[in-house]
Amino acid sequence: MPNAIEMRQIRKYFESTGVVACDNVDLSVTKGEIHALVGENGAGKTTLMSILYGLVSPDSGEILVNEKPAHISHPNDAIRAGIGMVHQHFKLVPNFTIAENIMLGIEPNQMGFINSGTEAAAVRKLSESFGLPVNPNLRVSEISVGMQQRVEILKALQRNAQVLILDEPTAVLTPQEVHELYNVIRKLAENGRTILLITHKLLEVKDVANRVSVMRRGQMIGTHNVADVTIRDMARMMVGREVILQVEKQPAQPGEVVLKVENLLVAGTGGVPAVKGVDLEVRAGEILGVAGVSGNGQSELVEAITGLRTADAGQITYRGRDITRSTVRDRRNMGMAHIPEDRMVVGLNLRTNLDENVVVTRYREAPYSKNGIFNRKPIRELAQRIVDAFQVKSARVGEGIATLSGGNLQKIVLGRELNGSPKLVIINQPTRGLDVGSIEFVHKTLVAARDAGAAILLISVELEEIFSLSDRIAVMFDGHINGVLAREDANEQDVGLLMAGGSLESEKVAVS
Amino acid sequence: MTRLRQVFENAAIPIIAVLLGLLVSALFVLFSGNDPIQTYQRLFCEGFGPRGCETFSDLVIFRAAPEDNPEAVQTFFAPFYGGGGHPLSVVIERTTILILTALSATVAFQAGLFSIGMDGQLVLGALTAAFFGYWLPGQIYALTGVADPDAAPEAMKTIMHFFVPLVCISLAMGVGAIYSWIAGYLKVKLNVNELISTIILNALAVRFVHYMVNNPLRADTTNTARTVRIDDTAWLIPFNRALLPDVEWFSGSRVGVGILMAIIAAFAIGFYLWRTTAGYEQRMTRGSGLFARFAGVASQRAALRAMLISGALSGLAGAIQILGVERRLVDGFASAGIGFDGVLVAVLARESIVGILIVGLFFAGLEQGAINLQFGNVPRQLGGIIIAFIILLNSMEDFFRRTFTRIRLKLRPPPARKATSEVKAT
Repeated sequence: MPNAIEMRQIRKYFESTGVVACDNVDLSVTKGEIHALVGENGAGKTTLMSILYGLVSPDSGEILVNEKPAHISHPNDAIRAGIGMVHQHFKLVPNFTIAENIMLGIEPNQMGFINSGTEAAAVRKLSESFGLPVNPNLRVSEISVGMQQRVEILKALQRNAQVLILDEPTAVLTPQEVHELYNVIRKLAENGRTILLITHKLLEVKDVANRVSVMRRGQMIGTHNVADVTIRDMARMMVGREVILQVEKQPAQPGEVVLKVENLLVAGTGGVPAVKGVDLEVRAGEILGVAGVSGNGQSELVEAITGLRTADAGQITYRGRDITRSTVRDRRNMGMAHIPEDRMVVGLNLRTNLDENVVVTRYREAPYSKNGIFNRKPIRELAQRIVDAFQVKSARVGEGIATLSGGNLQKIVLGRELNGSPKLVIINQPTRGLDVGSIEFVHKTLVAARDAGAAILLISVELEEIFSLSDRIAVMFDGHINGVLAREDANEQDVGLLMAGGSLESEKVAVS
Repeated sequence: MTRLRQVFENAAIPIIAVLLGLLVSALFVLFSGNDPIQTYQRLFCEGFGPRGCETFSDLVIFRAAPEDNPEAVQTFFAPFYGGGGHPLSVVIERTTILILTALSATVAFQAGLFSIGMDGQLVLGALTAAFFGYWLPGQIYALTGVADPDAAPEAMKTIMHFFVPLVCISLAMGVGAIYSWIAGYLKVKLNVNELISTIILNALAVRFVHYMVNNPLRADTTNTARTVRIDDTAWLIPFNRALLPDVEWFSGSRVGVGILMAIIAAFAIGFYLWRTTAGYEQRMTRGSGLFARFAGVASQRAALRAMLISGALSGLAGAIQILGVERRLVDGFASAGIGFDGVLVAVLARESIVGILIVGLFFAGLEQGAINLQFGNVPRQLGGIIIAFIILLNSMEDFFRRTFTRIRLKLRPPPARKATSEVKAT
């Protein structure tokens, strides 16, 4: 088969960060294949694809499309060359219909007048020809994330994309939607389209790709047939060393009940009930994993327990004390730590320096401040301690943190929250968007905190993570806990069934 | 290295904006049929130069001879030359207001609140000071049975000289703080946009002061309505009347302890913002409201506290203008919009305390210079025009930063990266 895309000796240096994102990278993609491009965060894979799509101009190197040199300096050039890209964050107009979004900029018109009927008909025809059904007249703001992604794909196909770049397409999807996306990708490849899949989930590569190219720190490490490599091999190529994918841990030694939630009711944004009567308890020295498809009330549950959202009914007890109405500060002072889902906006303040970020949970205490006036030395020492203990690469005391990678930012949050041995750690999506090396670190740290006697409530949509960390697994569905299983009794099938709202035979369910 | 570069770039952008602003404004001067270089020479001499300043070089080194001995020419460092009162000392009157209102804006901005209510807070503070400046001494004289204030005992006057301005200033600061707090409360409790609410509150305050000066507090039937002049004991006496009567530099200027208060306020606010937990709380609230809440920072309280401090500073500015400079509230004071320029100073100074002191003096000099300028048919508004262009160009920050980066890369090309050893899949 001929090459659909060939990139030769691509080099790109970013002035602002001083990073060589692509260091003389070669990549060739055969026509009609599903080609995965994997690498840790900051390995340069998104930059390479942005260069291919004309969003970033390379310092040197050349691009061949269909074995002919192509000059791509703008996305319009890429589209003309038959390259389409679906970004991780969709670029759709929420108030427009699906048809209007797909036709945006290339509207079929008569002397400048647009006929919405013609648009819808064209989109219907397009979607039927690719077997990707959509209702062209729905507004984008009304459709699910998976459907929005489909609209993005159709948008590229309408522009006659022969090569489709998908940037981390599964990051925002539910497991069912992921499954559907795989089918779409396979169907497109069968139709002769070429798919370039940017990802760092290796399981995904195994599931759907034909070939895989691995990048590490701006360099192309190699391209392999997916059938010839194991996940472990790919992880090693990505990280550059052996990675322990399975967390090593001893059986839990559960102690007293630290957190007890009874019949909790919490309204979500907009007043619709999100948590509808949750009961659970977490003991010292154990990790309770809450599995579930995202959007089933997990975020609201976390916010109610940590005090960011008011509970409408029910009771939250912390070490025997009713804290249902306590403020965030009170809960924190009692030894509750919280590692939030969003570390960029909630967990950290990227506009200030490292010191002010690490002191935020205890800035009112001695020795960090006295009579409302800061004492800089102990704060610097605290920051240095966290940087050292958590191996936060490239973070410097007293300097900004905005340019650090996601993994390093999460290490700062972990370091701050786990400092001072908290009694209860609530952690939501601990490894979202992190690379393999950082995931390994975060998991080890959590197990260490558990062994030190902390009660840990882990919320994750990644089943793998739930299984490798939890001592008990609670499954959340539609605002309820749909079942709690001991880790050794749980398997992916049962948990998947509970996640989808099903139920198991009574003897298997160990209700808390 | 990177940090040094950041500091350099942060300072370079306002300076480039200033230079380009002067360049663009020169086109307007040219358009009005004047020589830009000569005009600027006069403008800067009027604003910053010593008496007799003619050329740019006189702004730094000034040569003058005593009248009785024209042969003995002496050289002076121009900013310190006091041959009959330095125009800079007049400029400092206005600098005081600019510094305080810029601090006021900065405290609000540093809590993430884009409050531009300095004008309303300032005029209400001024009204408060103007009223209590004559009413309070009057009450004291009446209570103590002093019929003729001039004949009051010296000891009593001395005490009043400290006590009355202190009370007037405190009340003015309180009024400004409360007025600012209204906008903060509306923001925090009802999520009313503080930009809009402060604009409306400004308009309200200006109308209210206009009414008060024209009706209940009107002193006499002169053409321009005005309040009764404040009592001498309420006066923040200028340096050339007390404290430093022999320093020639200050003669002709009404500058007094007000500027000292402004400078002390600047350092106090710097300390508050960067060294206290309260200032930290408001800055964290600004950086990310969600972050502050997540960590348990009482962000609503921090925002309200910021608005109170911001209002108090503007109120102080109004009180100093009345008690130190104008000594009565004249109709037209309120509608002049003198509180608003502080916002511009804060913006150009990038909310830095030292920056505010420098920019405050610079803007005041430009405005004062243009007003004093009697040259060709250059409009009095030239200062305002230049300032407007500077602010406009300053907002092109991203463009300047990109240009810096491009130049730096030209000068120093990026390093090549060492090849890392490859790990083969097995």
